[in-house]
Amino acid sequence: MSRSDGIDIKGETVVTKIRRIPTQGEVLVRKGDLVGPETIVARGTVINPDVREVKIFVQLGVDPEQVIRYMLKEEGDEVKRDEAIAIHRSFFGRSTKICRSPIDGTIEGLSTVSGRALIRGSPILVEVKAHIPGSVAEIIPGEGAVIESKASLIQGVFGIGGETHGELAMAVGAPGEALTSDEVVEGDRGKILVGGSLVTLEALRKARKLGMRGIISGSVDQKDLTEFIGHEIGMGITGEEDVGLTLILTEGFGIHPMEEGTFKLLKTFEGKPASIDGSTQIRSRMLRPEIIIPQST
Amino acid sequence: MDSKAIEGPYLIVDIGNTSSKAVLIERTDGNYEVRGTGQAPTTIDPPDLDVTVGVRNAVGELCRGLGVRLWDAEGPSKAHRFLCSSSTNEGLHMMVAGVISTISAESAQRAALGAGALLMDIFSKDDPRPEYEMVGRMMSLKPDMFLLAGGTDGGAVDQVLEMAGLIKTADVRPRFGSEYKLPVVYAGNVEVREDVTNTLTEDRYATRVVENVRPIIDKENLGPAREGIYDSYMGHVIIHSPGYDKLVDRVDRSIIPTQAAIGKLIYAYAMERGVNLVGLDIGGATTDVYSVFNGVFNRSLNADIGITYGISNIMKQVGIRRILRWIPAEMSERTIRNIIGNMMILQPESLTSEEALVQQAAAREAIKLGVEHHKGIASRLKGVLKKRILSDMFDQSLEATYLDMMKTQVIIGRGEVFTRGRTGGMAALLLLDALEPEGITEILIDRSSIMPHLGMLLEMNQGAALEILSKECLHRLGTCVAPRGVAKGGEEAMKIRMTMADGAVIQDEVAFGELKTLPLDGGETAEVLVTPTRRFDVGRGKGKSIKAEVTGGEKGLIIDARGRPLKIPKNREVLEGWTQSLTKIESSALRA
Repeated sequence: MSRSDGIDIKGETVVTKIRRIPTQGEVLVRKGDLVGPETIVARGTVINPDVREVKIFVQLGVDPEQVIRYMLKEEGDEVKRDEAIAIHRSFFGRSTKICRSPIDGTIEGLSTVSGRALIRGSPILVEVKAHIPGSVAEIIPGEGAVIESKASLIQGVFGIGGETHGELAMAVGAPGEALTSDEVVEGDRGKILVGGSLVTLEALRKARKLGMRGIISGSVDQKDLTEFIGHEIGMGITGEEDVGLTLILTEGFGIHPMEEGTFKLLKTFEGKPASIDGSTQIRSRMLRPEIIIPQST
Repeated sequence: MDSKAIEGPYLIVDIGNTSSKAVLIERTDGNYEVRGTGQAPTTIDPPDLDVTVGVRNAVGELCRGLGVRLWDAEGPSKAHRFLCSSSTNEGLHMMVAGVISTISAESAQRAALGAGALLMDIFSKDDPRPEYEMVGRMMSLKPDMFLLAGGTDGGAVDQVLEMAGLIKTADVRPRFGSEYKLPVVYAGNVEVREDVTNTLTEDRYATRVVENVRPIIDKENLGPAREGIYDSYMGHVIIHSPGYDKLVDRVDRSIIPTQAAIGKLIYAYAMERGVNLVGLDIGGATTDVYSVFNGVFNRSLNADIGITYGISNIMKQVGIRRILRWIPAEMSERTIRNIIGNMMILQPESLTSEEALVQQAAAREAIKLGVEHHKGIASRLKGVLKKRILSDMFDQSLEATYLDMMKTQVIIGRGEVFTRGRTGGMAALLLLDALEPEGITEILIDRSSIMPHLGMLLEMNQGAALEILSKECLHRLGTCVAPRGVAKGGEEAMKIRMTMADGAVIQDEVAFGELKTLPLDGGETAEVLVTPTRRFDVGRGKGKSIKAEVTGGEKGLIIDARGRPLKIPKNREVLEGWTQSLTKIESSALRA
């Protein structure tokens, strides 16, 4: 089994990236600005899905309909974690029961009938970075921008882990060579290692431990990858794995030498910065992992 | 000839996620038959962004093969009835809600699945999730359509309106285009129709009111809800996909989901033949199971379980061991895992023999997962008082499924796993292993992949659709005789006496564990007398004979005495022997 048709390798092209936040917020760049991979393009907040139900009447030891008498906060009030939201003193102050917020957030609902409150976590800050160095070609009002960059683009067939960037380092000398733990060395910390036919489980673990940003390899053994990420891969939708590095496969699972042309192209960029993204979505709206190497200016 | 039929010729296109297939059906020598087919990539994504481009290309391909003209500047030729089914955007994504999870919500679920939908979630008043969690779920998962049921006619009011209120609170937005109105089909208590439409207001929702799916507690009425779903699908869902607005104006009947067309056809076929039937459709990413038992139709869907995109999910759900157990060749776990991973990410056009073995093994487990899920859908109505006799106290299955392989007369397999590069024997063995039919069962597969087209043709010309289905679409692999029960290896399981149409007689003694075939060509019929030994049952009880007329097929009469439930041997040679039994022509029987 070899690479899937329709997977791109472009030596020189203009890469366009739409960078937007999933809500309305503030765009922090202007058209024509030059940006780096870490430049924050837009920032905003989204509703926190974490909603906690607090049984105030239980914690105060009163009837549900009595809760309203002991409330310190109202619907709509912001609260901090462990902050008292209701208090019940009895026996002339000798017995005090306090109901505290389990999270930072806002009291979204308060039922005077059931004696319960719903507290939603504080809004979550979302930011989007440029990911690739380039210039701002277009502004998407309130959401982000389109970044353009002259670069080389190589698509993989599968990946794990999200966007990252670093210097490309050739860890092997030929596309048929395996990337073992011996090739993963301290001096490559923060870099993206390029392997050949296979990356071993030990190499993946060592690379994570030493702080490599990513690994590009022809293939990996499926069982090793499963052990590395800690669970079976179900549908081919990835990118959210929190495994400490991004892995991109150019050929597939098993032992497959990296395609000669891909290896040569990557080798020409040794020492150059690259932006990579392991996000993969295999069904319709297909998304393949990407290696983007900006051309030097 | 069907007097109600609307005469052809017919041009029918099924628009799939990746390709569109056109079929031309014309009358030749008094009978309708398939004149030709054409296929082209579906074009709802850039650069075309117009579904009609792919449809026109598929029709063009068909025309090239036949040397005819079926599409002009205006669209399809007026001389042809033009019909379409569609499964673009990965099908119709629905959410359903009811008052009680096992009553109205379950009926709503059956209606949505029967209409070809992929169910995203099911909500009810007795849902264990708190309301805010349900609201959060509705907000985050954007469906194409919502089906709301609840309450018998004249029954629950407040709870139905509370569920409508939840939908409103969540402000559920449609999957494609938050500016569009979300289609809601209301199929609950007739007395609160107005209140529901007042809650789900016109500015945000396109609410369609249909008859109650559960008008009384012991009656289910799914037809109107399904029709409501089809109408809303055409009017409010696909219309927003590029180019469908043009297509909608050109079709002679509503466009319905592909799976709904297949379901309609399977139901019509089972009803015409008066049989209980189980149908399987295994795709790259989904596994559909259809059943018709005593006239009751059901469909279930295992989304994300399939033989390419969904193959890793099979391994995730059942574990590698259950896939490994079906593979007759020596293969390491790592090899199998790598093959599965590559099938998911690369979807190869052709398979090596090892890849084919792994895919067939995974398909067996996909079917088993699908059937297990289907049992929950194809179940008796819950909430209905059931009269029980003393012996029922020992029956643990309080809400038994309809699905009973001993009472299943026909099995139909659909999908590339049964056809592409497979022999009939491999396809038959796959179905026998995965479904474990009992008694006497016909085994068929869809070889021409035109079931959606024939499902669309049903409404215009049922006679032609069913005739083409039998003659040109379904391929008979054979009839299987499989006794229920187990014994020691080599012990006699049954005697078979088959009397052919010409009077010739074939007799055979079958030992437990044997899997073999007796010659009986497709279309040929014979009378069989099966006499099981005292440990075995072929439908009339242990040790009781059964006489039946059977129809042959590519593999003839398949004798499966491997036992039920089927025990999978650890010895790979036995597994290989099973494959050999059905992939080579053999008959140890004596022709008297």
